[in-house]
Amino acid sequence: MDKASKWSVAAVAALAVVVLILPLVVKSSFAIDIFVRILLFSFIGVAWNLMGGYAKQLSLGHAAYFGLGAYTSTILQIDYGISPWIGMIAGGVVAALASLPIGWLCFRLRGPYFTIATIATAQALMLIFLKFRDFAWGAEGTTIPNLGNAPLMMQFEAKSAYYYVALGLLAIGLAITYLIEKSWMGYYLVAIGEDEDAAEAIGVNAPSMKRNIYMISAFLTALAGTFYIQYIYFIDPPTAFSFNISIEAALVAIVGGIGTLWGPVIGTILLETASTLLQSWLGSSIGGLQLTVYSLILMAVILWRPTGLMGMIGEVYHRLASRRQARA
Amino acid sequence: MWETVAQAVINGLLIGGIYALVSIGVTLIFGVVKIVNFAQGEFVMIGMYLSFYLATQFGIDPIVSLVVTMPALFVVGVLVQHFLIRRVLGPNDMPQIFLTFALSLLLLNLALMLFSANYRTVHTSYSDEAFHLGGLYIPVAKLIAFVVAMILSGALWVFLHTTDLGKAMRAASQNRDVATLMGINPNRVFCVALGIALALAGAAGSLLMPFYSAYPFVGQVFVLMAFVAVVLGTLGNVVGALIASLMMGIAESLGIQYVGADSGQIVVFAMLLLTLAFKPNGLGGGRVR
Amino acid sequence: MKKDRQPSVTRSENAVRKLLPEAQSRRKFLLKAGGAVAAGAFGAVPMRGWAADPVNIGALYPTTGSMAQIGVGCVAAAKLAVDMVNEAGGIKSLGGAKLNLIISDVQSDTTVTRTETDRLISGNKLSAIHGCFASALTLIASQVAERAKVPLITGSSSDQLNKGLSYTFTPFARASQFAQAQLQMAKLVGDKPKVAVIFENTAFGTSTSNGLKELAPGEGVEIVMFEPYSAGFTDASPLINKVKASGANALFSVSYLNDLILIVRTVKQVGLDIAINGGSGGFVIPDFYKNVGKLAEGLQGVAHWNHDMDDNAQKVNVEYKKRTGYFLFEYAGGLVAQTFMLADALERAGSADPQKVREALSTLDVSSGYAAMAPGGKVKFGPDGKNVYGRPVGVQWQNGDLASIFPKEFARAPMIKS
Repeated sequence: MDKASKWSVAAVAALAVVVLILPLVVKSSFAIDIFVRILLFSFIGVAWNLMGGYAKQLSLGHAAYFGLGAYTSTILQIDYGISPWIGMIAGGVVAALASLPIGWLCFRLRGPYFTIATIATAQALMLIFLKFRDFAWGAEGTTIPNLGNAPLMMQFEAKSAYYYVALGLLAIGLAITYLIEKSWMGYYLVAIGEDEDAAEAIGVNAPSMKRNIYMISAFLTALAGTFYIQYIYFIDPPTAFSFNISIEAALVAIVGGIGTLWGPVIGTILLETASTLLQSWLGSSIGGLQLTVYSLILMAVILWRPTGLMGMIGEVYHRLASRRQARA
Repeated sequence: MWETVAQAVINGLLIGGIYALVSIGVTLIFGVVKIVNFAQGEFVMIGMYLSFYLATQFGIDPIVSLVVTMPALFVVGVLVQHFLIRRVLGPNDMPQIFLTFALSLLLLNLALMLFSANYRTVHTSYSDEAFHLGGLYIPVAKLIAFVVAMILSGALWVFLHTTDLGKAMRAASQNRDVATLMGINPNRVFCVALGIALALAGAAGSLLMPFYSAYPFVGQVFVLMAFVAVVLGTLGNVVGALIASLMMGIAESLGIQYVGADSGQIVVFAMLLLTLAFKPNGLGGGRVR
Repeated sequence: MKKDRQPSVTRSENAVRKLLPEAQSRRKFLLKAGGAVAAGAFGAVPMRGWAADPVNIGALYPTTGSMAQIGVGCVAAAKLAVDMVNEAGGIKSLGGAKLNLIISDVQSDTTVTRTETDRLISGNKLSAIHGCFASALTLIASQVAERAKVPLITGSSSDQLNKGLSYTFTPFARASQFAQAQLQMAKLVGDKPKVAVIFENTAFGTSTSNGLKELAPGEGVEIVMFEPYSAGFTDASPLINKVKASGANALFSVSYLNDLILIVRTVKQVGLDIAINGGSGGFVIPDFYKNVGKLAEGLQGVAHWNHDMDDNAQKVNVEYKKRTGYFLFEYAGGLVAQTFMLADALERAGSADPQKVREALSTLDVSSGYAAMAPGGKVKFGPDGKNVYGRPVGVQWQNGDLASIFPKEFARAPMIKS
């Protein structure tokens, strides 16, 4: 192993240690809440990134799967007493299955059409859940019953427990991304992302690849949905199928660097930190000020660093590497 | 029974006129510049606030204020294209989508900051009046809005088909590279496209003021319908957007009447998804006309 | 950490003094302390020189986002209430401890509510919380408060708030009660009311309208149309068209403000002669009149609180008007009363510990003073956190203001027949 690889392995190991002991060191409940949010939205971004980053299928309707996962586990828990741990997997399966007809419809379209169709499907699902009260509480939604400390039912008194669950989810997401990235599937996805027609011309089965990655992406997003509802103790259609979730999933990946392993994580850290800082400095003194600044930051990133932060880091790295080479 | 149907159709048609103004702008931008403007609704909102202030400060009727809002927003469109959109034009459409989305967020929250969340209403002499024909009623303000919307759409069509600049725009939308080779300056054409699209949004805002209230989120209400109309009528197809908007207005109205008051949007989405299932490029067939 | 510690010194202490008997020396003391409090407002300087540690009360309202207008009005009322309590001497059983209001913006968003409630509780030693206006938001806050064992008092009407929660207290009428009142008011206008019910399809509209459906037969009211609709529509015409076709002579609309404005105006456009009862929510706030103008005159609604209920309420209304420029609306007035209920509980608990405050709240029983500002003038909580005397009051827009007109015991002005 050369020096550079040794450094990166060491760095990752150090990072892992820090991340693992963080909740034990930091006692502030407020801070842990932020960490949970960062972990969760990194995970959602990673799930989105599989489809949107590598295969460049820009979906802004991932909230559909988020909501399906959330509702599946909640229905199973409240109506049948089944633990949300199982419900989470069930939700993932439901979402993956749902991605098939939705994918069939949406993949017939290209470019912005595809995006708009995904937005429409998420919105349509929300409207359906709003309307049909019999199987899913309709517009009023429901709260998760208070079970105190019930780890088997995904309810913990200690905030740090939620941190570790979210961390676990993120680790799974990153692991899956890494494996795909390094496999033949990864290469085919990138090819499809670059130029779908060309990829098909050289024999890549684009429809099948897109279908598969969509299923995986949907499955993972649904897991996040279950966790989120367990965390906020409440579900209703606007929350579960929130357009904001669809946006944030894509946003963190883009800002951090689409199509990269760590992109969504870095993007989430940046955006969440900025958001929290803004909230504490500017707060609710003037309505809209925080989001105004937030959107200005977004625009700045998009205008000047479209490859995201990972792209920026990549550039810096290359500049340093080439300087070293020149000297050698 | 007939009365109810006829009334539903009239209602839908009239609001469809407003959808048309918003969606034509979106489709024009897409056709020529090839980007989706997620902030179109916010420009309608700006048009509304502008009309509101002209009405309350100077007593100018909102419909008359068109002559101010349209040029003002035209200039804004040119500026947006020249300073913002130009920088993200490229093969990758993600920065473009997110730029206009961020712009939408920015404008909405600026409005919230500057104007607060309160609703602003303008009452004109004809705001709550309606023509009564038999058992049918046609609200005056909405009828005026519809007529003006149709006139503006017609004017746009004429512009695109008879003037040199209009033809240049259509050429650029069909094939940007060839158009450039023929000596058409793409940026100039894009500026005009943005300008016109935003002017139409501003017009929609002014026309809405007599019967709708202005508040920061008002753009979001109309933009979703406009987008569906754009896709339905084929992205880039101005006539398609117009017809689709009117159809959608009617479908929504009939849906509310006969399916359920909360089903207006579902009916429209069903229309969209069904159409896309069988005609993936929308009803217009993929040409800019 | 974001805190919005409000100095107890008020700009309009003179006016507050008029409300309550007041000693001059206390005012001077507060003025001096004001400087120290202002410095402490940024959380850096520990507040010294107080007779006793202040008691922290959390307030969660949507001051940004779609519900911002109401949220801002609520926060103004919250500050006024705390000023009033403090000017009267604070919590005497705690050595004159002042109430310290800590405000948090829930941005009209469910997920933000979860985070903010959590942050408010874990970042401050709170004795109690009040909020959040919209039922969906309050439901989440109540869940967090329940698990954190901090009492939450709220005017939100969702019946779900009284199910299985021991830390949530609702001193005012429930959604189902609003429904009954609306039905009874329909009979005031005509003998055989045929009602069209339209409601926005989220928590607020659904719970209220369900109450309407269940109780209508019992009240002798026929419901000829019962339709949920998606809030935030572009055009009310299709909806009103349907109402017209149903043959109804009364319209009950359970809606938020923007839809109400359109509905009322469209009814006028159509030339539909129909009595509108706008229920609660967006109907009973000053902004409604501002946008609808004369069309609002004579329209009826229901509220869980109104400023003409008793003299105390009127006094608070006058003061509020001075501060904000508009009348004290339902939710805002209700939370002033709630602040006094919290003060009463703190007095009896003799402690700022949230669990003790909760105990004291559960045994609250008042029938006079600012804490009893409620329709009926009495507040006593049952085991499910409901006020056993809680009833709504029927109101009507008269001359740009809301007058209580129903039931007879609560009527402060004659009903206008339109």
